[in-house]
Amino acid sequence: MALASAEGLSFAYPGAAGPALRDVSVCLAPGQVTLVLGPSGSGKSTLLRAFAGLVPHFHGGHFSGRVEVGGLDTRKHNPARLAGTVATLFQDPEDQVVFTRVLSEVAFGLENVGTPASEIEAGALEALAWVGAEHLAGRLVTGISGGELQRICLAATLALEPDLLLLDEPTSQLDPDAAEGLVELALRLSRERGTGVLLTEQRPALPLEVCDRVLFLDRGRLAFDGPVAQARTWLEQQHPLFVSADGDVGVHLHQPGQAACRLEAVTYAYEDNLLVVDGSSLELRRGEVVALVGPNGSGKTTLAKLAAGLLEPLSGHVERHGRATYLSQDPGRYVFCERAEDEVAVGVDGDLAAASRALAAVGLAGYEDRHPRDLSSGERERLALAAVLAPEPDLLVLDEPTRGVDPERKHDLAALLRNEPARATLVVTHDLAFAEDVADRVVTLADDRELAHA
Amino acid sequence: MRPAPAAALLFGLAAAALLARHTFSVAVLAVGLLVICLRAPASRRWPYLVGALGSALALLVLTPFVERLPGTVYWTGPTIPVVGTLDVTSTELSGAVFNAFRLAAVSLAFAAYALWLDHDRLVQAAGFARRSVLAVALATRLVPALERDAVGLVEALRGRGVEPEGLRGRARLVSPLLAGSLERSVNLAEAMEARGFGRPGATRLPQPPWRHRDRLALVAAVAAVVVGALWL
Repeated sequence: MALASAEGLSFAYPGAAGPALRDVSVCLAPGQVTLVLGPSGSGKSTLLRAFAGLVPHFHGGHFSGRVEVGGLDTRKHNPARLAGTVATLFQDPEDQVVFTRVLSEVAFGLENVGTPASEIEAGALEALAWVGAEHLAGRLVTGISGGELQRICLAATLALEPDLLLLDEPTSQLDPDAAEGLVELALRLSRERGTGVLLTEQRPALPLEVCDRVLFLDRGRLAFDGPVAQARTWLEQQHPLFVSADGDVGVHLHQPGQAACRLEAVTYAYEDNLLVVDGSSLELRRGEVVALVGPNGSGKTTLAKLAAGLLEPLSGHVERHGRATYLSQDPGRYVFCERAEDEVAVGVDGDLAAASRALAAVGLAGYEDRHPRDLSSGERERLALAAVLAPEPDLLVLDEPTRGVDPERKHDLAALLRNEPARATLVVTHDLAFAEDVADRVVTLADDRELAHA
Repeated sequence: MRPAPAAALLFGLAAAALLARHTFSVAVLAVGLLVICLRAPASRRWPYLVGALGSALALLVLTPFVERLPGTVYWTGPTIPVVGTLDVTSTELSGAVFNAFRLAAVSLAFAAYALWLDHDRLVQAAGFARRSVLAVALATRLVPALERDAVGLVEALRGRGVEPEGLRGRARLVSPLLAGSLERSVNLAEAMEARGFGRPGATRLPQPPWRHRDRLALVAAVAAVVVGALWL
């Protein structure tokens, strides 16, 4: 018997130019791990929201077809009623945390679905134990790392013991080890408890190893639905970048030139006086792309900000030659103006011609008049990139530029970054495949804050 | 202490400050609440203290100019159309000091509530109007969230070589901050609904039993209101 199904599902968001989903039919079985792949904006998150009942109840819009979860028609049962049968883990943990304490946060769903009061605490602690976070029960959510917070959010969904678990790019902010841990955990729970898992990912290598079935969405249509072995063959033919780390962005012909930035034995600590960067040295030369990788909390972002001049080191020396620009992790911060072109022109004293060139370089030609907030997450990421490319910097520092970006766009981004002989580029990333694709040099910042060059 | 009696005590102190008639009494309440706020970690307390003390200072400075009360005239300024002649009198000044202390006391009571209370337990303890209590608890978290967002927005500008200096530079942060907080609230509402919020028949995590000091705080809250109304 099917755990959940969609029949002829089409959906358009209110005011959208076209439908996000077009005539999608799919049937999910208990205990099956299904990976949903597709380019940015192809409807992956919308499909998950349809199974959670959030589409159409929360978002409104035009809905046709039929979606059932656990025998409940989502048109007749709202998301609150479906909670417990289905549970959703969203992309950004910061946007889904309600309470300030970990235990209260995990207990929230149990309270809502009417779990007997005497069983709530035990249920919440058990869910924390599943994700290996029972030691965090008494902590404040503001005092734990992003990776830990995502595990807490996973525990909050697992506490409901759902029949269907929806994971919307759950690893986008996690380092490879944490991401692997989270995906393996979801898989184990699925196997042990017969939970169906529907998972979207933009780093598909790991999920492809563990899933049973793959769906591929393209502009809202279901382009492929089949077992993973068959999916690999199909992807190799149709979308090879989804299965191959070999991006082939071209050989870097330029010899690295003069140093654009040199950090010597720099240290930095935030308010708690704990050293986040401890005596690190790094040289960034014109014409080379350096990838900075390492686990969550190892100080990558801080080192990148020191290089870009956004932070001043407590000790050590930073030498920069020319202009530096810095791309923040959160593309939602590039929303000062009401037109995309004006937004990009902020860093070039309103030079619209330069802004237009930068938009075209990132594939957003024709988006000049769009409002930055109306863009999809992948498009916002590219808009932010255009904003820091427009000043034609001597040093370009990018902090997690591939979050929410599909493998094909990552390939384009890698090619774009490698095509500038006069610029030094530092890319902070958790995406090791992208790092290998784009970088001349990969620098690893370990837990002990030691830099290793490769 | 349980958060409900602690909130009641802070409410009682704020009510006493509103009901009291003597400047000295209100000043003592404001200073007491300031001491409570100063015991919170420096990194968390400063936005609340700046907000509370800044607004009280603004009230102190502006009140004498906009009020027209008799008394010893300390300063006479120009005549402004509609407003009339600007002056500062002893009555206006004492009124301004009184109202500034009153505003400081009420704002600091809210700051102490935001800084010290366990809002999770407060929500879970709410026997009725749980949605409203949750809305208040989430609104309390708005200040640090806005602070984080503002830091991020400034960073995004500085990352492009633009330094947001002065009042005009800071003013350009207001619109994205407001829009960002609206966007976040929509995301949070979606996540809450997906977790069953609003479903009938919700239960609550059991609360620890009432202790002696919880009852004492409740009595003190009532006493503060009565004393404020009758004697302060």
